[in-house]
Amino acid sequence: MSKRFSQTSLSLVVGTTRRDVSDLELAQALAVGEAWALGVTWHRFAPMVLTMAERSLGSRSDAEDLAQDVFLSIFRKANTLREPEKLRSFVYSFAVFGVRSELRRRKLRGWLSILTPEALLELGHRSVDVESRDLLRRFYALLDRLSARDRLVFSLKELESMTIEEIAEVMDISVSTVKRSLTHAMARLSRWIIADPGLADVFDTRRWQR
Amino acid sequence: MTWPDEPTDTRALHVLAKLARSTVQRPTAAELERGLNLLSARATSQKARRIRVMRWSLAAAIATAGVCVALGFRLASVLRGPGLDPPALAYRVEGGSVLAGGYLRDSGDGGVRLFFNEGTRVKLLPGARGRVRSVDKEGTRIVLDQGTASFDVARSKERRWLVEAGPFSVAVKGTFFTVSWDPPSERFELRLQHGSVVVSGPIASGDIELRAGQRLVVNLPKAETLITDEQVEGTAAGSSSAPLLPNQHPVAAGPALAAGQATAKDATDTSSSSAATVSSGSKVEHKSSWAEHVAHGQWNRILDEVESRGVETTLETAPSEDLFALADAARYRRRTDLARAALLAQRRRFPGSSRSLDALFLLGRVEESHDRARAISWYDEYLGRAAAGGYAAEAWGRKMVLTNELKGRALARPIAEEYLRRFPKGSYAGAARNLCGVP
Repeated sequence: MSKRFSQTSLSLVVGTTRRDVSDLELAQALAVGEAWALGVTWHRFAPMVLTMAERSLGSRSDAEDLAQDVFLSIFRKANTLREPEKLRSFVYSFAVFGVRSELRRRKLRGWLSILTPEALLELGHRSVDVESRDLLRRFYALLDRLSARDRLVFSLKELESMTIEEIAEVMDISVSTVKRSLTHAMARLSRWIIADPGLADVFDTRRWQR
Repeated sequence: MTWPDEPTDTRALHVLAKLARSTVQRPTAAELERGLNLLSARATSQKARRIRVMRWSLAAAIATAGVCVALGFRLASVLRGPGLDPPALAYRVEGGSVLAGGYLRDSGDGGVRLFFNEGTRVKLLPGARGRVRSVDKEGTRIVLDQGTASFDVARSKERRWLVEAGPFSVAVKGTFFTVSWDPPSERFELRLQHGSVVVSGPIASGDIELRAGQRLVVNLPKAETLITDEQVEGTAAGSSSAPLLPNQHPVAAGPALAAGQATAKDATDTSSSSAATVSSGSKVEHKSSWAEHVAHGQWNRILDEVESRGVETTLETAPSEDLFALADAARYRRRTDLARAALLAQRRRFPGSSRSLDALFLLGRVEESHDRARAISWYDEYLGRAAAGGYAAEAWGRKMVLTNELKGRALARPIAEEYLRRFPKGSYAGAARNLCGVP
């Protein structure tokens, strides 16, 4: 025997999806170890970290490895974040710190190894013509000669279009140090470009002035 | 942009910086998913390691409380020392060299071969590109960028082997298998000769555990996942260079599975239609649920049981969870009629359950290979009833793709716009942006 219930109209209440949570809520969820926060944090910030690291390091695979380490550190130390609403800055600082460490490691490896490994440019998946790829390879070879700090300051300024003050904040150094590093990096790169016939010749022609 | 008054070096610097800036692309949705899978795995393993460390610390603290206990612990640690600290892994390369970043470059026509000191062998077939991401005490990560590679991994409790191919990760215990990844067609294929592996990636049903003799093919653009049984190869070395078969064998015959190097356990565990396996399976079936069979890739065990019970009886009497598992098993075996019947039975018999809603979406998936217009209507019905359901993003995405195929770009574009509005970072966002003409 079936019993009929009165037909009360029901409405579907759609909650906020977790991808829409604010940085503040996300930081709080990370701090208490909510499992869903891992995926949301990754999807929200990984593109930023990956592109910054890839531009700075010149290698997609190194950037991927670095992003893994950066996010693992963030998940471990999320409960130390004093201003949860500044989660983005927190992530960016970790990423910058990771890039600087990786650049220092590379320098150290370069000093310790007898054979310098073949420079391999491995940027993203965008198809780049052979000439541009060669230019980029030379460009990153010049960047490899800079100190880790100078290179990072240059990358953040010229590749990430950050202001001097922003760079000082994320690198936790003074504005004057940033300016000094940038001047130093630009001067050295300019000198090396002139000394590199492969680069100087290319830029003496007018076709790059388009 | 011009810098007519700037000296050559400054101009060059600006141009080079601009070039470097524009060359780097945002990661694709598939790359992000792969990264997240890997991150989750590492986070879990770190958590487990922290727990292990905490346990050891606790044990050490207790040990210091009493001299006798401490001596016992010391003795134990001395005795177990070598087992806990496996020797470092090393490998040699034949047929090529390793460049910076672990890139494997072949130097001939035979492909690159890696020989690890614990017995593992890896072979990249000619034309394949790959990288050795990391080699340490905990294990090894190999990335297959494209092409086919075979892996003969030595069994080890201490070390973890991970093979990444496109958005897929293959967690490996001692086993022998070949894996292929074709980036242009986004087609992943894995043939497992021995042992077991767990494949994770953008597969709707989550991680898939494969058993010896099974072959997994995933076609991402078509959203197809197919698992078939194959005959176990005679020897590992003999099959290592064999090209992948264009088509799978029909669902395996029993005697072939027992041949070659397949162990008795493998033959029993592997789902097959042999009488021996059915009878042993039917003894176990009352203890383990069909959902568990699905999780272990034992599709045939479920289908065999349905055959023996009778399809109609099963559809009328099986509980909701089993009907869902049956639908999964039937879908993986391309028994679409049976999958459809199980999902319709789910809807008919359990109309108020959440699985009933999910069945709407899965009916769409089943219909995609037969009647795409019908599939769209199932997706519409799902979205009408569960606008914020777990499959909503996937339903919008599939609907957009099918509408584009069936009715053209103009009609698919509004769906793409709606998709982007709802799921701007969803896995179909790239395709949606293409349809909308948004860069």
